[in-house]
Amino acid sequence: MSILNEISELVIKGDIANVKAKVSEAMEQKVDASSILNDGLMPGINEIGDRFAKGQVFVPNVLLSAKAMNAGVELIQPLLASAGDTTIGTAVIGTVKGDLHDIGKNLVGLMMKSVNMKVIDLGANVPGEKFIEAIKEYNPQIVGLSALLTTTMNEQAHIIEQFKEAGVRDKVKVMIGGAPVTQMWADKIGADAFTTDAAEASRWAKQYVTKG
Amino acid sequence: MVGRVKFNVMSDAELAHMKNRMEQLLIERGIHLDHDELLKELADMGCQVNMETKDLKFTKELIDKAVAAVPKTFTLYSPSGKYDLEFPHPEGKFYTRTNTGAPNYRTVDDETHYVKLEEVDEWYRLTNAMENVDYVTLPSTSGEYVPGDAVDVYTLEKALKHSAKHIWIQPYEADNVQHLIDMAAAAVGGAEELRKRPIVSFIACGVPSLTFKHMDAEVLYRCAKAGVPVQPCSLPTAGANTPVTAQGTAFIASAEVFAQIVILELLCPGLPVIATTLLFSMDMQSTYTLQSNTEITIARLIAMELFERGYNIRAHSYGTGTDSLTMDAQNFIERTNLIDAMALSEASVLGGAGQLETAKTISPIQLIIDNEIFGIAQRIRRGLAVDDETLDWDELIAGLDRDPAFSFLMSEHTFRHYEEPHRPDMFNRDGVARWEMNGKKTLTDMAREKFDAIMAAGDTYTLAPDKAAAVEEALKKAHAALVKD
Repeated sequence: MSILNEISELVIKGDIANVKAKVSEAMEQKVDASSILNDGLMPGINEIGDRFAKGQVFVPNVLLSAKAMNAGVELIQPLLASAGDTTIGTAVIGTVKGDLHDIGKNLVGLMMKSVNMKVIDLGANVPGEKFIEAIKEYNPQIVGLSALLTTTMNEQAHIIEQFKEAGVRDKVKVMIGGAPVTQMWADKIGADAFTTDAAEASRWAKQYVTKG
Repeated sequence: MVGRVKFNVMSDAELAHMKNRMEQLLIERGIHLDHDELLKELADMGCQVNMETKDLKFTKELIDKAVAAVPKTFTLYSPSGKYDLEFPHPEGKFYTRTNTGAPNYRTVDDETHYVKLEEVDEWYRLTNAMENVDYVTLPSTSGEYVPGDAVDVYTLEKALKHSAKHIWIQPYEADNVQHLIDMAAAAVGGAEELRKRPIVSFIACGVPSLTFKHMDAEVLYRCAKAGVPVQPCSLPTAGANTPVTAQGTAFIASAEVFAQIVILELLCPGLPVIATTLLFSMDMQSTYTLQSNTEITIARLIAMELFERGYNIRAHSYGTGTDSLTMDAQNFIERTNLIDAMALSEASVLGGAGQLETAKTISPIQLIIDNEIFGIAQRIRRGLAVDDETLDWDELIAGLDRDPAFSFLMSEHTFRHYEEPHRPDMFNRDGVARWEMNGKKTLTDMAREKFDAIMAAGDTYTLAPDKAAAVEEALKKAHAALVKD
């Protein structure tokens, strides 16, 4: 087994310590940093993502693998500096104003990070203005708006209107989610995506930022 | 044993360990409480408070003082006066309530949509007619049908006008809390009357771990000032915002509820409280929040035992519900499994009637069937007395049944006891021939017939006109204060 395959297997196992050790060994062997990333670490995280999609592993497996991958990325980061950001894209997420429930939103953040997205989490009870500031500051491809209550899901519609007024609506894809949220609601308020759970949200995000 | 069958899930040592650790957590780690007035009052009473960080720690002395102040007996009153709830239940039963917090309504024609205001009327007509449902909650009316800032006050108006039974209120905004109390006061003739005869109680919720948002702190503060009972609540999700173990989740939820009880009893000694731990877990594949995980059911039993046996404080949890999306076999396995376990727990209140889809949908048909399920569960809890009379000892030792002319059907013992077995209202007890002749009705068909009959009968309770006018006036004030354009 090549050292890159070994790294992939260790990422799949979520073996943080040995990922670090094996990545260090590969660096000592002068393996190209971009090869360690693209042929070692990324295939591992992609495989665990596929297994998760098939119902073969659990969320903690995915998160452990993501941690292992990030541990490896940290080591090669200085060598990749010229290549810039190694994440596949950026998402700004938050629970909308008036709503303090954040479990679902936090899960979406974790699962997006596990597919190597950069996630800017604005927290809960976030007004439209904060989302607009974040769009201007971080230039994300995706904005995720979470709401748990029927009373606060209207805020998702309101925020999309605020995006239009601020001239940032066309710069991002708006993804919505939350217990009462449906595809019908997404269509009604003009959201670009509705996902039923955190894993689907991360799959949609990855698909969009990598393939458009 | 007749009167109260129950089992324990913790040894005495485990119970003592839970109590010690819970108190230690509140004393050494403390809570975060987003309410300056409340923090100041609690600091004056001796709590260790950091006003900048809004963190608070209790002392053992204050905890003991608060626990001693919890009333051992109290009454939650009903608007009609016909369904007042004495705690503990005089017959050893548990009380039951409808589901709270569901955004969706599944009609009897199987259409599901966000809850409409007119469906709230329908809901209370039903609950008034359900003999095994003791009090009600506010359906989560959609902001599409009433002003989004005032959903709770508009829904409470319906409840006060139409529910004959005690009302448990979940506010949605901090600013709404006092208006909700004022509306309830209007329905009984004023604030003092409400203090004497609380026809409503409130929900306040902790956010794991040990954090109380301004709205929930406001509920504690306003209810304590108004003398309105609170059923302090925690709704953790194991693995998501509490430890993945069911025990750890029961522990942190109980600590949050206990902290609220201590606060309430320090502010208003003797205020009726019911410890309400509503536990969930996260599925580690789908990430969905689940109600019916088996370990979580045991954790509910732990929480009930902790409060009832550990502190002699009345406790409340889920007694029915399902993660199924529809009325299939999974639904009925999950809800009957849950109620059978919880009926034999220490719980004083079991809730969730009418819910599907992990409490996200309420269904009139399911409510009617839950009414039946509660009836069976109450019978199980009551148990059976074992003595010579119930064994039919006299007839058996006398050998009366050796006589060919003897029939148990005609025996004196049968005449004394034949009415005792519980008979669910809607269950089939016919053979195939008669069942076919009567249209092969299923339980859901029977529930639909019962629904139609209840609706045809019209309102069984309406608030007196003068009180209704006072509630409307209070609603107008609430609307003016709360609804922003």
